[in-house]
Amino acid sequence: MNAPVLEASCRSILPDGGMVTITATRRPRAGRADVKCSVPGVPAQAERMQQIVRLARHTEPRFDSRDQVVLSADRAFDPASRDWELAAVLADRIVRGVFQPARPVVANGWSDAWHLGRIDGRMLGHDLARVPDGVLAGGPDGLPHLGALTGQPDPGAGVASARTWFPMHSGGEHDGLGWVEVSVRPLAGAMDADDDAISVPDLDALRQGQVRAVLAGARHFDGRGQGQWKTTVRFGEAGFSGDSYGLALVMADRMARGREFMARGRVIATGTSSAWHTGKVDTVDALAPKCALITREAGPGDRILLPRAWEGALPQGMRETLRARGASLACVERIGII
Amino acid sequence: MLGSLFRNPLRRPPRQDAFDASALGGAAIALPAPSGITIPAPCAAVLVDRGGRSRRLASGSRIAALEGETAWCVHPGPYTCDLAPFAGAPEIGLRVSFAVDASDPRATHQRFDLFLASEAGSAVELAGFAGLAQTALQRELAQGNLELPPCTTLEEWNTFRSGFNQLMYTRFGVTVDDCVPVDIGATHDYAALLEARLAAQAAVPEAASETAVTLAVPPTEAFVPACEDARALRRLFLELPCLMCAVRMAVLPADQERFRQHQDLLRRLDLVSLAVGTMPALELAAPGQPLAQHEQLRRARHSRRAAAALDEAWALLARMKVAGEGPLDVLFDEADRIVTNLETESGARRVTSMQDEVSA
Repeated sequence: MNAPVLEASCRSILPDGGMVTITATRRPRAGRADVKCSVPGVPAQAERMQQIVRLARHTEPRFDSRDQVVLSADRAFDPASRDWELAAVLADRIVRGVFQPARPVVANGWSDAWHLGRIDGRMLGHDLARVPDGVLAGGPDGLPHLGALTGQPDPGAGVASARTWFPMHSGGEHDGLGWVEVSVRPLAGAMDADDDAISVPDLDALRQGQVRAVLAGARHFDGRGQGQWKTTVRFGEAGFSGDSYGLALVMADRMARGREFMARGRVIATGTSSAWHTGKVDTVDALAPKCALITREAGPGDRILLPRAWEGALPQGMRETLRARGASLACVERIGII
Repeated sequence: MLGSLFRNPLRRPPRQDAFDASALGGAAIALPAPSGITIPAPCAAVLVDRGGRSRRLASGSRIAALEGETAWCVHPGPYTCDLAPFAGAPEIGLRVSFAVDASDPRATHQRFDLFLASEAGSAVELAGFAGLAQTALQRELAQGNLELPPCTTLEEWNTFRSGFNQLMYTRFGVTVDDCVPVDIGATHDYAALLEARLAAQAAVPEAASETAVTLAVPPTEAFVPACEDARALRRLFLELPCLMCAVRMAVLPADQERFRQHQDLLRRLDLVSLAVGTMPALELAAPGQPLAQHEQLRRARHSRRAAAALDEAWALLARMKVAGEGPLDVLFDEADRIVTNLETESGARRVTSMQDEVSA
């Protein structure tokens, strides 16, 4: 499948402020147990780690019994602390190539239901603002389940939320992929004015209006979902301008409402529309830098959606590079099925 | 009751309980048929003996089952069903219309007959069959062997269709006539589904907040070890030889290296097949020694996982048939993974205690 990674590590912040590094290595199984764990001085924790990793593997579609993964923590930790659980699960996934992060991961989170891929919470920092930058924090306000790493909705949750990514480009050094997340919750009674049920806490009033208009238009095109949902839209970073996030927003909304085919990885989209109620996708500016950014960031299984007008002007070799990395690209004229 | 016998004195009363073929072609694909009836017009009969060998009888003839044979009456269709390709997207579906394949003179085993022999307990309902097809489709999509990404282009759709058609033919022996994406929101309302889930979640903490630890394990579907184990082993026993036969024919080795790889794969499959054929009884640790309940449960789980690997193997065979020479390396690597899983699971099914399994 992908080039084998034989060693990987994932770190986690301990309650005392120190760091624990969980290192995973992979070797041929040769009749041994599928997972082996060691924590210096605390055999009970090692046993717990093995159990967690095995449970979390139940959420993966591919089962491979050819390799043994050995996980080891570089220091002992307090038996009461459970924040290392997410780091252990991720280290196990990274070493087998199931999860391929772009940069080293620091992760904190625990769960009582790893076999469902759910992450119940973390002990580190009670609100996200107190979590250090760049730390993957488990829990309902951070990473609620393992599928959310690629923006997929949790198949077992009562609130469906999906995340998509869009390139943010301003010519500065802060360029990168921003995300938008749409969470929908069924409304008990039918409502007439669907605008009121969409809240966008991160943005100012003007932009909130834009987001509502986009969603209302796209749902009108869809024919369903009007007055049915209580919607919350969150952005990874509020400091962006322009309206090229529109297509990403619409795709996240459709994914959250269970009305779109799913990519295995993330959906990365850029595009806008003057008339979402017809489902048409219009072109946006900054083709070259955005394509360069997407080519840099895309990973295996990712789905890239660009406006149809870009099709002829794509940088040479972009499709091939993406395909080699396992991502797929489509230039779309309209949303919906084919 | 008696009156109905005399109402039409010219007609002979049915010899056994009357065979009702009215559901065939609609809600049911195949129904067990009693011996002695005449096969109604568009249907065919499939007779399977205890060893899984099957033969077909054309419509119009009488079913004369030999000792130990089970007969089914199969309506060729066409049938239409809706499949949801993604568990997480219940409002978008595929409307698939398919037909049961007429007997292929080139093949020694009709795949649909094998399906009847190994998986159909009694009747094959359309809904149950659609459930199996949906599971197969969802697994292939989740593993990335078939792709149906957001805003699928026409080219991607055609690739998906050829893979899907081959999957359905190789796995179930049915031919897909038509397959279109449809909005199934009217019948599978996601909002209602989520509302039910929220209600269930709200009810749980009130019911038992103290037993939170036990609640972490959700109520699973009824799992009867003896039934599951028997079903899985029967499938492995009947299907592995046919699978091996098909794998042998699906690849024509281009060079010495590939030939050796292919040969090795077949040899290992053969050993798995042998292991399944000589599998110890579920409830015995040794002759005359009963095995503990929880160990029986563990054994049954391994059988089921081996059967899941068998499903993957059929799906892989479908990919082998569609693929050209190019991606054979990837496919052989997949085959290695699947066969290793089969070996591991059938080996674990054999051992009598968990300790033996996780040595080292």
